[in-house]
Amino acid sequence: MNKELEQNFVELLEKHQNIVHKVCRLYTNNQDAHNDLFQEITIQLWKAYPKFRGEAKFSTWMYRVGLNTAITLYRKSKRNIKTQGFESVSFKIKAVDYDDTEEQQLKLLYKAVHQLNDIEKALVFLYLEDKNYSEISETLGISEVNARVKMNRVKKKLKTILNP
Amino acid sequence: MDELDLLKKDWQSDDSRNETKLSVKEIYPMMHKKSSSIVKTLFYISIAELLFWLVLNLYPYFASDKYREELAVMYGNSTMLLALSILSSLVIVVFVFLLFKSYKSISVTDSAKKLMENILNTRKIIKYYVIYSLVMAFVSVIIGIYYTLYHNPEVSKQFAEFSDKQMFVATTLMVLFTLVFILVFWLFYRIIYGILLKRLNRNYNELKKLEV
Repeated sequence: MNKELEQNFVELLEKHQNIVHKVCRLYTNNQDAHNDLFQEITIQLWKAYPKFRGEAKFSTWMYRVGLNTAITLYRKSKRNIKTQGFESVSFKIKAVDYDDTEEQQLKLLYKAVHQLNDIEKALVFLYLEDKNYSEISETLGISEVNARVKMNRVKKKLKTILNP
Repeated sequence: MDELDLLKKDWQSDDSRNETKLSVKEIYPMMHKKSSSIVKTLFYISIAELLFWLVLNLYPYFASDKYREELAVMYGNSTMLLALSILSSLVIVVFVFLLFKSYKSISVTDSAKKLMENILNTRKIIKYYVIYSLVMAFVSVIIGIYYTLYHNPEVSKQFAEFSDKQMFVATTLMVLFTLVFILVFWLFYRIIYGILLKRLNRNYNELKKLEV
């Protein structure tokens, strides 16, 4: 039974790992830190998995556990001290759409998002993942109205960072 | 086009970007590694604190017979000492129960705000326990000083030669010294929890600010 549970979990996580990678990319600055956070989120997901009833989609459930681990539970380990700037991360742009200005803009945008605080990043993450405000408010534990207000403020803040 | 929409387009189109895509084989060992989460650290600290004060409380019973007798003399009779120890052990049992309940309520699948609240609530229970222990330590040191000065024949004889003023200065110094000692302890706790929960507190306040 336990083996079966383990297997189910690993297969699901393998399939949806991109969600966890995306959380890690948003909250860390280098590969070591990324791996470390990925590890912690995996542990938390596995610990909570026996209680996962399947009422929610596995991916939706992962958003919550992933974000909660990143903004609340995660304690940076010592090896995260050496940092490598986020700028060195390259972005894959489809060759057909290749546009120097767009790539440049994206680079700046990712850099700007990295300057936001943990909660603002969570909002941006859920927004980028196309979650509606009801889901955003439930995940963070704030009202829907406040989620909207905060999101607008984050957009403004990003604009200010990009065009000081 | 809105900047965020541009980002969204890239964000959602890059599912294959992850060069670090892990295989099932790589995920297996990750599941069973030890967590280094804030809750786990908090749990270990609370256990260490409970044990520390428990050992300190039970110390008289493990100490030599002579020390126990001296304590009994100080407290008038040993029943008083026993009653005090039972009372403090009871308090510890209550705190263990509250802590256990509080830890059980922490769930990673709650909303971010609820999760933070439950962790901060657990920290509050530990804080009250520490305050209780420090107050008790202070009170017992003061009682100890009082009984040593007035009920310990050898010490009383020495102090009998002191003038009232000297006696006052000596007592004040001892109380002050104890107070400073306790305050240093308190500061130490504040620093430990301050470092551990700095980020959590900041994020919690950020969420709370939204609700005002």
